[in-house]
Amino acid sequence: MRKQKECIAMLLAGGQGSRLGALTKNIAKPAVSFCGKYRIIDFSLSNCINSGIDTVGVLTQYRPFQLNTYVGNGSAWDFNDIDGGLYILPPYMTEREGRWYAGTADAIYRNLEFIELYNPQYVLILSGDHLYRMDYSKMLDSHKKKNADVTISVMPVDWDEASRFGIITTDENKDIVKFTEKPKEPDSNLASMGVYIFNTSVLKKALIEDAEDETSSHDFGKNIIPKLLSEGKRLNAFEFKGYWRDIGTIDSYYNTSMELLSLNPPFNLMDDHFPIMSNSNIFPVQFIGEEAKVDDCMTNNGCKIFGEVSHSIVGIESVIEKDAVVKDSILLPGCRIGKGATVIHAIIGEEAVVPEGTTFGSEDEIAVLGNDITLEEGN
Amino acid sequence: MNRLAGIITANYSTDDMGILTEERGIASMPFGGRYRLIDFALSNMVNSEVDVVGLIMPYKYRSLIDHTGAGSEFTLDRKRGGLNILPGTAFGISNRGSRFTLRDIRNNNIFFERATEDYFVLTASHFIFNMDFNDMLDYHIKSGADITMAYTDEIDICHQANSIQIENGVVKKINKGSWPGQSTFIDTFIISRDLLMKIIECNEAVDYMDFFDLLGQEIDRYNVRAYEFNGYVRSIASINDYYKVNMDLLKEDVYDSLFIDERPIRTKVQDCVPSRFLPGSSIVHSLVSSGCNVEGTVDGSVIFRGCTIEKGATVKNSIIMQSCVIKSGAYIEHAIIDRNNVVGSNMTIKGTKDNLFIMEKSGKKR
Repeated sequence: MRKQKECIAMLLAGGQGSRLGALTKNIAKPAVSFCGKYRIIDFSLSNCINSGIDTVGVLTQYRPFQLNTYVGNGSAWDFNDIDGGLYILPPYMTEREGRWYAGTADAIYRNLEFIELYNPQYVLILSGDHLYRMDYSKMLDSHKKKNADVTISVMPVDWDEASRFGIITTDENKDIVKFTEKPKEPDSNLASMGVYIFNTSVLKKALIEDAEDETSSHDFGKNIIPKLLSEGKRLNAFEFKGYWRDIGTIDSYYNTSMELLSLNPPFNLMDDHFPIMSNSNIFPVQFIGEEAKVDDCMTNNGCKIFGEVSHSIVGIESVIEKDAVVKDSILLPGCRIGKGATVIHAIIGEEAVVPEGTTFGSEDEIAVLGNDITLEEGN
Repeated sequence: MNRLAGIITANYSTDDMGILTEERGIASMPFGGRYRLIDFALSNMVNSEVDVVGLIMPYKYRSLIDHTGAGSEFTLDRKRGGLNILPGTAFGISNRGSRFTLRDIRNNNIFFERATEDYFVLTASHFIFNMDFNDMLDYHIKSGADITMAYTDEIDICHQANSIQIENGVVKKINKGSWPGQSTFIDTFIISRDLLMKIIECNEAVDYMDFFDLLGQEIDRYNVRAYEFNGYVRSIASINDYYKVNMDLLKEDVYDSLFIDERPIRTKVQDCVPSRFLPGSSIVHSLVSSGCNVEGTVDGSVIFRGCTIEKGATVKNSIIMQSCVIKSGAYIEHAIIDRNNVVGSNMTIKGTKDNLFIMEKSGKKR
């Protein structure tokens, strides 16, 4: 018999993130590179281990290869624990059928066996595509104190953005009285962050019933939460105070990155007591050439700079050759900006190439060169 | 089935490193912005598919153990083989000068007996190079050598190293010190396990000797062959070596010959944040590691992890080790600033190329 865990995490990492366009063409959204060395999933995984949660199931589906190789056995985040660990949970076949995960709830439902293996009292449900630093143990304390069946982490968002989120109305005890997924006309600006703590028994029952409901789209926000509310279960809101971003679109990806590059960044990547860990290979130190100009940049190991770069993020192992000019841009790992090339206001994908003498991007809108793409003349 | 097992002797020490090795062995000297010297020997082992590695420890081994741990960064935390921490025998005396003491091998007999590999590659930890030992082993087997010694003709002067006289690929003489025009032994050799065990057994009475002092006396008894290594290789056995080799990394061809994609130099990962070059900073011709904050001027220098160079501070032709703060208005030239130091504002530290200023490691982490 395994040691019972108080709380394990199930991390939903199967989404495509289609609004990130070229950046998720060949990799899942949680595996998208961020700030030159991280991948988006680093934030959720680091939050887990820093919160004392040492058992995580990672649910994958869309383009899982790079995500799987990146996450590995989780040792980069110290998940190589003697009685916990990190497990990749892909869709699988049974003796009767084989099919993809039909929704977030279905993905967890089909891994109930995994949850039962650890037999935790609580299950933390997360998505792997948000940027934030959060101590889930505080949320769990609140969950226990409020004697809730489910606790949902919430934060206020701008009113004009509210219709993008699951919107929550609470009473004076922070008990949730109304939950509407992506309302057209929101009557509250308290948004669900997609972070849930369930009592395991409540989760199991809801998922089994949902699986039998043929009209359900098997989604936590659309089906499970409204269903539990209607059953009179106690759903409590835990207000998160801090920096949180859904980096789901090119604009938000670019703007969030640039926020972190600002002089007083709203989110500090460095925190010795709550570090953001990652699983990058080991690269030598940054090489800054004799004629290089580096101004207002964030740079990473293994990069080589011979040209001019300003107000930009330079990813691991990316190269800016002589006489190249890079401005207001994000260079993802391993990309190459050729001799005399110009890159303005752009995101250059991993291993992408901007050849010698070419120009990419303009002040007007954010240009994106996808991973592994070599810019062609006149493109 | 692997053919090669490895031994790294990390217990070489010399007075010529001065205060830099007061609290650490040469093997764990920080190098190149993020490495320690031992990383090169260990990476050469694993990049050559050697997965049984014995590490003979120096007298002051705390920082070395801290760095290697169980060897997981080098993929040496293995069920079979892996990293074996072996005691060095010269405890109490500091074993100056010697690299391959017979007693170090004899006292770790069990390690050699357990290994199933037919050959051993032995290497010291204070040489900087990136080499595939398999090529050397192929040469060793093909040439029918008893012992194959790797050498270079590229090192000008190194009085701490041995030089060898070569005739038709055969080593005729081993001399102390290496001078211009001589071939320098780079403290890396291959020998079969059986022969190594035999030599150790036969010389039990003189086991205080260095393997090559002994070999030099009876060089004609064995077929000792020389294997030329053509890549960049340097010994770090003095403060001047240390400075020069760090500065060599600023040459792109040297950097590229040491840091090769297919044979990466591995090291302990610290999950440092990206470095930040703030508006107004000026940095040219330098190596900078992660986690640095640069607002001042840096030229011709190597900056290790987590350093802060404040606005108006200048660092020229210097090595700044991990977690140092160079305060606003400070001026540093031709200096080696060891870890955790704070150089106060408006302080001027000026060495010269031949007389470097050394600031010893500060005890406290900030």
